[in-house]
Amino acid sequence: MSENSSALIIDDEVQIRRLLRVVLEAEGYRVLDAETGRQGLSDVALRRPDVVLLDLGLPDMDGLAVLRRLREWSHVPVLILSVRDGPEDKVAALDAGADDYVTKPFDSAELLARLRAIQRRTPSPGDDPYFQTGHLAVDFSSHTVTVKGHEVKLTATEYALLKVLAQHAGKVVTHKKLLREVWGPNAEGQAQYLRVYMTHLRKKIELPNAPNKLLKTEAGIGYRLVMSAEDKIPPSP
Amino acid sequence: MVESGRSALLPAGLRGNRLPGMSPGLGKSYMMLQSSTPVREFLLAAVSIALVTGIALLLAPFTGYQAIALLYLLLVVVVGLKLSRGPVLTVAASSALLWNFIFVPPHFTLYIDKLHDAMMFATFFAVAMAMGHLTSRLRLSEIAERRRERRTAALYELAHQAAFTTDLDIGLRAALGLIESIFGGQVALLLRQKDHSLSTVPHPASSYSLSEKERSAAAHAFSRRMPAGKFTDALPGSEALHLPLQGRTAVMGVLSVCSSSRKSLDPSEREMLEAFAVLIGLILEKEHIIGAIKRSEILETSERLRRALLDSVSHELKTPLSAVQAGMDALSKQMGPNEEGRATVREVQSAVQRLHRVINNLLSMTRIEAGIVQPKLDWCDIGDLIQSAIGLAGDAASGHRIIVDADENLPMVRIDQALIEQCLCNFLLNAAAWSRSGTNIIVRAALEGDSLVLSVLDEGPGLSHSDLAHVFEKFYRASNARPGGTGLGLSIVDGFARAHGGQVLAANRAGGGAEFTVKIPVETARADGLGDLA
Repeated sequence: MSENSSALIIDDEVQIRRLLRVVLEAEGYRVLDAETGRQGLSDVALRRPDVVLLDLGLPDMDGLAVLRRLREWSHVPVLILSVRDGPEDKVAALDAGADDYVTKPFDSAELLARLRAIQRRTPSPGDDPYFQTGHLAVDFSSHTVTVKGHEVKLTATEYALLKVLAQHAGKVVTHKKLLREVWGPNAEGQAQYLRVYMTHLRKKIELPNAPNKLLKTEAGIGYRLVMSAEDKIPPSP
Repeated sequence: MVESGRSALLPAGLRGNRLPGMSPGLGKSYMMLQSSTPVREFLLAAVSIALVTGIALLLAPFTGYQAIALLYLLLVVVVGLKLSRGPVLTVAASSALLWNFIFVPPHFTLYIDKLHDAMMFATFFAVAMAMGHLTSRLRLSEIAERRRERRTAALYELAHQAAFTTDLDIGLRAALGLIESIFGGQVALLLRQKDHSLSTVPHPASSYSLSEKERSAAAHAFSRRMPAGKFTDALPGSEALHLPLQGRTAVMGVLSVCSSSRKSLDPSEREMLEAFAVLIGLILEKEHIIGAIKRSEILETSERLRRALLDSVSHELKTPLSAVQAGMDALSKQMGPNEEGRATVREVQSAVQRLHRVINNLLSMTRIEAGIVQPKLDWCDIGDLIQSAIGLAGDAASGHRIIVDADENLPMVRIDQALIEQCLCNFLLNAAAWSRSGTNIIVRAALEGDSLVLSVLDEGPGLSHSDLAHVFEKFYRASNARPGGTGLGLSIVDGFARAHGGQVLAANRAGGGAEFTVKIPVETARADGLGDLA
């Protein structure tokens, strides 16, 4: 997939830009870079990268401002790469339209997996109605969910939750977004519903005693449906 | 200073128009208007009658006795405009009699021999009495009008102070001066203190010093939010009237007015005093709110500054670390099958991870000490919390058997999951570091009353006596500690727990090993109360 992809790095640290270039080029990306927010914005407009890696601490303007400006006219997937590790920073970036968030220092393999996840187009109705990760399979056309080949019965709410998470598989989905998409725009403050149904959903789709859970909690931010282990291993060069 | 300041701030209407001879102070002139001083007025009446009679005696030979009646009527009208009812009626009656006695023939008798003279005397008497009555009524309503006007002016003045005075003390001094001058007597102001109790020391602008008894009456007015003391139902034996300074939301203090000469307080005066008290309450409340806003602005600025500084330090430390880590990742890939090289890279990688942990701990500790850790409470599932914390501990605890001991039916709790997860993770890292690989670590969660209690139990050597006392202190290292730790992990747990209003505990288990507990007050919600909304 990344064979023909181009990635734009917006970061003011030259060392980070150089090293990211090495990591991304090894993966087959064509790499562009920008030192400032303004340059980054014009690069997105002119050179149309397939994915953007954005630092939040830029010299000329705040990374969040860059992101908001960008989101006025572009849907390019954006991965935030920042030293700011507070949940509120992450939620602010995700709310502003970022697709995912990786904190520095970062693990290269993790970074590449996240990049792949955000580049995967969100499926729309009519797309492949089948989703699979690890032992879990979801057939969107027949609304059936199987764990290790055995069908599990989900309530309508649990299914709706799983569907949103599967559509954004590999990416973190904020509490706010989940509440909005499953319960509607007026439910954003009803966090306890979400916790309860996540607990129910986990009991039904997680394997007991499995070391790696499918549904990962990002404290203070949201949940992530983890893609299967095979998906994480970068193809050898 | 007080005197000059007061007169400068008095409303214009009160400053000029003093009635002649009524000094010093407005208060007295104000009181003069209400209660007549009869002796003086009767004297004035007698003098004016004598004067007019003298003139009449001079004029009578030229004008005849009938015109003199008109002169006396004129006197009644003039006197009616200046004096109060009693003297005016006296003037009216005595001028009628005098006219009859001196001027109506036969002279120097009260006897009237002509019918038309008798009619004229009767008419004169009636007209003089009516005139005296009417003019004095007119004057009374004029006095009332003027009093209302002054009251309005005084209230306006005080409101003006409320809106525009920048120095509270000047405003209060002016207000007290105003009250003193209008009501006479002495005034004291007791303000609310920072701890919301009533001060026992009057404001320096006060002219009245309160006795122990008066202070307790003032405290009564303050706590009940009702007037107390003289002229009220509460503690009427007091020497002063105590009015609470009722602001919009709180009582800001007490206004005490002591006028020993006063026997009564009419409703309109009382109303006015209460209006003053409300106004002063509002001024004080306004000042209080402005002060609070200023303080929170300063706090916010300094907090923003601290955050910015921390962000910048964090950026400077973590950016090179990111470069090292990314570099090592790239290097490891380029090594290919060079096992020796890869092993070296792994060493560096693990050193980078350790450094990362140390930096994170130092930054967390700095945030705690800067007081900028503010828990963001949200609903959280305790089972999820424990699993996430175990995940966060990662490889460091993977050599141990972690046993979760928690009731499946624990309710949802409102906590800052990220902070508490970090607490539990630090406990796990500590347990893993102190106990042999392969041993059990128990994570226990329970609700005790309104508190969430999370414990981590290990099978390590336990804690010595001095460890128990100091283990949560910053940079504390047990004497037998292995190298690698910073002595910050547990003190961060302590800091986060405190930020949550909770506490931490360390103990030794009965069968050996240590037990660390964090206890946080929480709000809970039962899951089964929620229906399926879909």
